[in-house]
Amino acid sequence: MSKINVIAGQELRDMFSAATSWLEKSSADIDALNVFPVPDGDTGTNMMLTMRSTMEEAYRAPDHSAAGVAHAMAKGALMGARGNSGVILSQIWRGLAQGLEDKENFDAIEFADALEKSARTAYKGVSNPVEGTMLTVIKDAARAAREQVEEGNDDIVQVLEAVVDATRDSVANTPRLLKVLKDAGVVDAGGQGIYTLFEGALRYLKGETEQMRLRKPQIIVSELPYTAPLPQVSGIDEVPYGYCTEFLLKGEELNPEDIRKRLEKKGESLIVVGDDAAVRIHIHTLTPGNIISLATKLGTLHQVSIRNMDEQHQDFLEMQKEKMPVTDTAVIVVASGDGLNDVFGSLGAAAVVPGGQTMNPSTKDILQTVETTPSDNIIILPNNKNIIATAKQVQSLTQKKVKVVPSRSIPQGVVALLAFDYEADFKANAEIMEKALASVRTIEITRSVRATQINGLKIRRKEPIGLLDGELLVVGDTDLEVVNQLFSRLFLDEAEVVTIYYGDEASAAEAEAISASITAQYPKLQVEIIRGGQPHYSYIISVE
Amino acid sequence: MTVKIVTDTLSDITDELAGEWGLAIVPLYVRFGKQIFRDRVEISTEEFYRRLVNEPVLPSTTQPTPNDFTEVFQKLAQETDEILVIVVSSKLSGTYQSAMQAKDYMKGKCRIEIVDSLTVALGEGLIAISAAKAVREGADLKAAAEVARRAISRSHLIAYFDTLKYLAKGGRIGKAQGLLGSVLSVKPILTVKDGEMAPLTRVRSLNAGLDYLYNTVAGYKNIEGLAVEHATTPDDADTLVARLSATFPGQHIYRSVISPVIGTYAGPNALALTVLEAEKK
Repeated sequence: MSKINVIAGQELRDMFSAATSWLEKSSADIDALNVFPVPDGDTGTNMMLTMRSTMEEAYRAPDHSAAGVAHAMAKGALMGARGNSGVILSQIWRGLAQGLEDKENFDAIEFADALEKSARTAYKGVSNPVEGTMLTVIKDAARAAREQVEEGNDDIVQVLEAVVDATRDSVANTPRLLKVLKDAGVVDAGGQGIYTLFEGALRYLKGETEQMRLRKPQIIVSELPYTAPLPQVSGIDEVPYGYCTEFLLKGEELNPEDIRKRLEKKGESLIVVGDDAAVRIHIHTLTPGNIISLATKLGTLHQVSIRNMDEQHQDFLEMQKEKMPVTDTAVIVVASGDGLNDVFGSLGAAAVVPGGQTMNPSTKDILQTVETTPSDNIIILPNNKNIIATAKQVQSLTQKKVKVVPSRSIPQGVVALLAFDYEADFKANAEIMEKALASVRTIEITRSVRATQINGLKIRRKEPIGLLDGELLVVGDTDLEVVNQLFSRLFLDEAEVVTIYYGDEASAAEAEAISASITAQYPKLQVEIIRGGQPHYSYIISVE
Repeated sequence: MTVKIVTDTLSDITDELAGEWGLAIVPLYVRFGKQIFRDRVEISTEEFYRRLVNEPVLPSTTQPTPNDFTEVFQKLAQETDEILVIVVSSKLSGTYQSAMQAKDYMKGKCRIEIVDSLTVALGEGLIAISAAKAVREGADLKAAAEVARRAISRSHLIAYFDTLKYLAKGGRIGKAQGLLGSVLSVKPILTVKDGEMAPLTRVRSLNAGLDYLYNTVAGYKNIEGLAVEHATTPDDADTLVARLSATFPGQHIYRSVISPVIGTYAGPNALALTVLEAEKK
């Protein structure tokens, strides 16, 4: 592959023109990544339209130097910016133009410098920068370029390659930084747009235009567990979203910094970017009239857009409903503990009804969840012997078809959900899941609530006790001792996987010690430790 | 003149099988950094998996160029005027498009039919073999293509993956995305449905995975072909073959290795099973 040391204005234009076509191909896919309340509804489309305006201006520019092209791109982006993502994108070009000021062409070091300017300018445009968005992605891009040139790399292709790799990882990481993304199981749409642009530019530099014609950019997949959000109780504290207000303000001697200060308290998600002749403003406010009247005093308004976000939110919810997987069968589980919620959510449970030992949910609780789950065929995993009957009562109270797979413990619930067969129908799945229950043994470790005598065991108050498949069999001085005693009673020849869910009252370190003890005695077993966060039970252990 | 059959390396047709059935194989490409290899031709499966596991950078893959197909077509055109091309699912690779362009280049020099197998690995390979059988029994191009197309819905590929990491990073995850990101460590069982990867279920151990694959076969009544493939664990595949042979004595079981290009997405320790159901009489 040929090396590129210097890029001139024309190439800069052509590579981002190719990148724009590349972005265009996946703008609909990027739109689909949206999570409300992200300020603009269609990130992919908005970025694509912003880029079109950016490139149109670049082609009109009389000055073909790198500085001239970058300046024109910045101008085109500002004039044509759409939505939050478009405005931030325009800041990125603005920073790049500043970085390439007076340059006929640029080398790898100057490229890295300019990207750093881009990142800095992008952050500056937003009054409350949020990590896990396109801001983080452009920052990581700049860092990767810097690292490359510091290592002495002067090939712009290789530098850009490192930038593309860094943005890819950065996008994949966004759900870790931003909870709304994690909850929705997607990566940040704006970040995906940035990645796609850099990737398109790189492919152009590498001469892969033919492949770009045939192929489509890849949407990055979130690496984080997708956890089903708990069913929401609606109507209690709904905060109105207000109006998404956007416009371009033209005038003389405008002061973006000053305008930002004046608008800061008037709404959320404020972005003010531009120069003394044109400023783009984006804000979420309950009183758009005030913003508009304030702005009209400063200059003339263009491309004014005011959208009712509550309406958008309703549309969004409707759209989400349509987008929900048309699963024939949904599974509802009963569990308590945030760790266990995540386990069930990540295995595909549609909803978790909070409950378990000593806090059995009511029939009404379960019924409500059944009714709000978007499927007509529901399988319930009660995960406790005292909840099975309650769950069965739901069957006669709803129009939906409900089957109860009588799981008596969390481990039984997990193996049942794991066995869910995506190709099988409702009835077959209930059978497959019920059959799976027998494939696991359940150990539960808790503390005795009072002194008692049972199964020939003398138990003092607060002493660690161990249950095997619901039967109290062992009492001991420590949790570890109880676990070991119970393991010695198990027939472990066919067992393969042990999962330790440690509870609210237990620690990860202690769980490690138990795991180490099991591994030492039974080296063939594969042991996994998961934070269950369940109350009352310090440990729930499954043996499969 | 007899019909010649062309397929791609993703069909996992071994050299022996290609020789036995007279199949021409067009390789895809796998790339590590700047090194580009023709799938199975310039990089062996052993070498590939060794590098896949040990190198920090994941490989990427590319479809054959239209020219790769044209060259094969031109060579075959010297001995036949009918070519049947069976390619990997067009939803997983652009190979189908390259083959179509190559057909255009040939400008009718010979009749070429291209069949999108809508599957991959020996799921695709067994379709190619059934078409080759038909040709041996005297089928012409139209009839052989028809045999291949009818075999598509009877070819069932079931795969055990040790991890979804490679499939997700390579962007081929399709409907199996729902299996991603489990808090527990689980091994996905996948299939190819409507040309795309789709989830079947999850297991927690290799043995449970082998049980699942074994039980799947037991669920089919009339079996025309069976095939078992491994990536890096031939012993596990042999265990499965032994169990299947005991249950289906006399049934030939094809063996192969998952090719590097597929391995880029399947990762090490993957196993694949193909059941080709017999046609209902």
